[in-house]
Amino acid sequence: MSRKKENKLSFVGKGIERVDADIKLEGKALYGDDLDFAKMLYGVCLRSPYPKARIKKIDFSEAQKDPDFVKLITAKDIPGSNKWPVVNDDYPFLAWDIAEFHSQAVAILVAKNRFKANELSKKVKIEYEELDFIDDIHKSITKKENIFSSYVIKKGDAFNEIKKCKYVIEKEFTTNYQVHCYLEPQVATGVFATDGTLAVYSSTQCPFYVLDAVCAITGLSSNKVKIIQTVTGGGFGGKEDVPALVGAHAALASFITKSPVRICYDREEDFRSMSKRHPSYSKVTYGADENGKLKCCIVKYILDAGAYSTLSPIVLWRGTVHAAGPYSIDNVYVESYAVKTNKVPCGAFRGFGQPQISFAQESLIDDLAEKIGMDPIDFRLKNIIDKNKLTSTSQKIKDSIGLKELIEIVRKKSDWDKRKNLKPSANNKRRGLGCSIAYYGVGLGAKGRYLDRAGAYINIYRDATVNITVGNTEMGQGALTVLTQIAAETLNCPINNIKLDEVDTSKVPDSGPTVASRTTVMSGNAIIEAAKPLRERIFKTALKMLGSKDMIAKDGYFISGSKKIFFNEVIKQCWAERLKMSEQGWYVSPPTTYDLKDGKGDAYIVYSYSANIADVEVDIETGFLEVKKIYSAFDVGKVVNPVLALGQAHGGILQGMSWAVYENLVIEKGVMKNPGFTDYIVATSCDIPEYDVSFVEKDYSEGPYKAKGMGELPLIAVAGAVRNAVKNACGVEMDSVPMIPEKILKKMGRI
Amino acid sequence: MIMKAEKFYSLSDLWKNIKKLPQKRKYICGGTDIAVSLKYGSLDIDCLIDISDVKELSLIKKEKNHVFIGAGVKISEFEKNEIIKKCVPALYKSVRYYASPTIRNIATLGGNLANASPCADGVLALLASRAKVILNLYGKKRVLEIKDVFIGPKKTSIKKDELIEGFLVPIWSHKSVFLKSIPRKIFGISKAGLCVCADIKNGSVRDISISASSVGPVVLRCLKTETFLKGKEINDKTVEESYKIIKTEVSPINDHRSVAEYRKEIIGVFLKRALSSLK
Repeated sequence: MSRKKENKLSFVGKGIERVDADIKLEGKALYGDDLDFAKMLYGVCLRSPYPKARIKKIDFSEAQKDPDFVKLITAKDIPGSNKWPVVNDDYPFLAWDIAEFHSQAVAILVAKNRFKANELSKKVKIEYEELDFIDDIHKSITKKENIFSSYVIKKGDAFNEIKKCKYVIEKEFTTNYQVHCYLEPQVATGVFATDGTLAVYSSTQCPFYVLDAVCAITGLSSNKVKIIQTVTGGGFGGKEDVPALVGAHAALASFITKSPVRICYDREEDFRSMSKRHPSYSKVTYGADENGKLKCCIVKYILDAGAYSTLSPIVLWRGTVHAAGPYSIDNVYVESYAVKTNKVPCGAFRGFGQPQISFAQESLIDDLAEKIGMDPIDFRLKNIIDKNKLTSTSQKIKDSIGLKELIEIVRKKSDWDKRKNLKPSANNKRRGLGCSIAYYGVGLGAKGRYLDRAGAYINIYRDATVNITVGNTEMGQGALTVLTQIAAETLNCPINNIKLDEVDTSKVPDSGPTVASRTTVMSGNAIIEAAKPLRERIFKTALKMLGSKDMIAKDGYFISGSKKIFFNEVIKQCWAERLKMSEQGWYVSPPTTYDLKDGKGDAYIVYSYSANIADVEVDIETGFLEVKKIYSAFDVGKVVNPVLALGQAHGGILQGMSWAVYENLVIEKGVMKNPGFTDYIVATSCDIPEYDVSFVEKDYSEGPYKAKGMGELPLIAVAGAVRNAVKNACGVEMDSVPMIPEKILKKMGRI
Repeated sequence: MIMKAEKFYSLSDLWKNIKKLPQKRKYICGGTDIAVSLKYGSLDIDCLIDISDVKELSLIKKEKNHVFIGAGVKISEFEKNEIIKKCVPALYKSVRYYASPTIRNIATLGGNLANASPCADGVLALLASRAKVILNLYGKKRVLEIKDVFIGPKKTSIKKDELIEGFLVPIWSHKSVFLKSIPRKIFGISKAGLCVCADIKNGSVRDISISASSVGPVVLRCLKTETFLKGKEINDKTVEESYKIIKTEVSPINDHRSVAEYRKEIIGVFLKRALSSLK
């Protein structure tokens, strides 16, 4: 099959309306808590009130007296395994003996209604013995057993080279947590049926992770369990691993009570117990020669993993691979650690370990340019990776790289070279521009390559409507729409004929998680694989019907000369001829060669790129920082849907800005102080900066219609650009995210 | 758990029936603070007394020397009311900083005082406006200074069943400035707030009152700074001096919203800004 010529695409590249727009706008979408089941019970978790404690005794005799009490479930009631399967499998579904962080689940109380479940949970007396806890990574790292994972990248001889560099700069940076703040909190419903099967309705990015967890906790085999993804109200990584925990709890409660059980978190519970972006510490050193050529980079990068390892090993790996930045440097040494503390376990968040280290290295690149006396953009242009150059893992960039163009676009659009003329809006304010760039390895990469495959199933009905089942999820990002476009393009089928659903694990093979900006590439390619043979049959039939050797397939029509037939007519004929009108597709990502021993080899199949310039204004008396405008340019390969891509860009930039300047989760002695929207500050619609977004489409030959990945990229380097703009505005070199006014005034020496 | 909710439409009806209600009872008007306390279980009561439609509480009246503001007037009302705009400008100016539009449509000044939070925006404006509080218990009224009602964080001198009926705000010739430090552009609890009401003629301070929030156990009057400024000409020197004085007058703490040194500095910066804009 030839994938058509670029300029003749009918559906891909068009800003078609979201296929789920109407149900979401009209309030008709059924989210996790909207589903109703007869005789449904409600479960609520009882949680440890201490950073670390031994569970001595659980007394629920008082709660048990209530007629609405159904069951109290503890670790000893688990029929399967009490190890949640993630990476290292160290996190028990329910704490047994010792609870390792404040708000870890210890037991599940099931009652006849939600109100009573909450009331009765307060009547359960759990006796604890408080234990010593660790909340500081620098203390924790001194003990080997506290290091969950660690990586190293060695390229050239950085320690020797640094001695020869004319310009050397070294600084330390820290970043704080980020909370996903998805609109829909965690929710799952377990529905155990009399035939011994179990269905779990889950708000999740990764139904197959939920499947593994439900099988583990119940001991049921995979073919007796199905996970049905409910319309998911936001994920951002927060619905990657942890919905498996919530789903497993609901499944367990349903399995034991033999009734449907709903578990739906409130915002505080969600804040306290669900995953977050890791806080980080990093020490970065760059060295350059007298001509401003980067010669070496040394990084020490530590993530505060929290009490259990969950996804930390892979979050850390992505951060490690990208730690030196998108530069061509001959000598690189990176060492990285994910370290245990008795705090909430951190996991996936848009960017996945990259934003933290990007903030550090992009800040330092700017400071080094200043030290050398070069314009920060000229300095970057001189040192960026490009076609045929090597990344820090010695991966040769073969194709699809538009980084240089991206930088030139934002430089021009922001009037960078005249930035000294920018006027602040008041006497006490200072204005400045700052730049940052990023690259992002699309997909799971070498570390997650065993999971990097996806399936799709296409079934064309006799009425020419099409049902497509994929294993990657819609969570608000637009996957259903983009995948519909790819299917429509390949089949020459009208958009409205196609229905793509939320994932049901019983209908599609394990397609890995919906993370790592991989869905367009992986599920998109799986759909193309499934559609190929169907396309052949449909196109052959159309040619026959047209009685022609040539035709044009366009917008759902097949045209030859003056003859024109519609997709539906062709399908009718295909069925009349008893052709096979359903197919399954399977796509496996291209190979990677990365070696964990020294960090050498191809880490990812391809990279997406960004260049960003932030325009900020700082009130030097109050320290208040306002991000006025962000110029961003992205190379994500072919843009499948320009309207949705713009939405991803705006959302990612805002989320990155919010992390950079506002979001400040406070945990004191292991206890969260601001677990809710009253005091955990996220950007509102009033705080939105002006956006100026551009795309450069560099074809990725393996991508569906040449597309790469998009979702995470816009967030990654925002903090660095803002930080460098603050420096440009008022001379202050921030080294910590979030850049709240208190820190800015302190750096200025005003407090 | 709430066992009972009782609604009244007049004070006479309220006083006639209140003693028949369950002992653990509390007034609710807008409920924007009470709902939060109930959710987090910090309120142990059996009965809520709904006074949101008691007619005497929803009045704004201009009298000879003062304005009466009913304790139940919704915050958003202050932005539309001409008497408030003219005679109590601090309150008028505070509205846009007060919580969010939806909260402003239901929250009240009486509740703002009764909740006794050191960051209360409404109290900040009332204090600098020199308002007094009218309390009513079974029909018997007493009039107190705000400082004698709001005596500590979440602590008031209001007796059981005693109702905040309203506020008496003196009418005096002044202009006002309301400044609030919040963590983003809108919707935030103050890190520090300052309200200045001053009568300034030819650049000299004839009369002034200054209140500050989130920098002490209660919303406080900055009397030392006021005394210093009274009769002085506003110039660089007096502004700088008053900036130093006010920083010694406040006693902020470190918490998850901000740090003490920052709060202190902001109060100083706000005073400078207030004085230069009133000049």
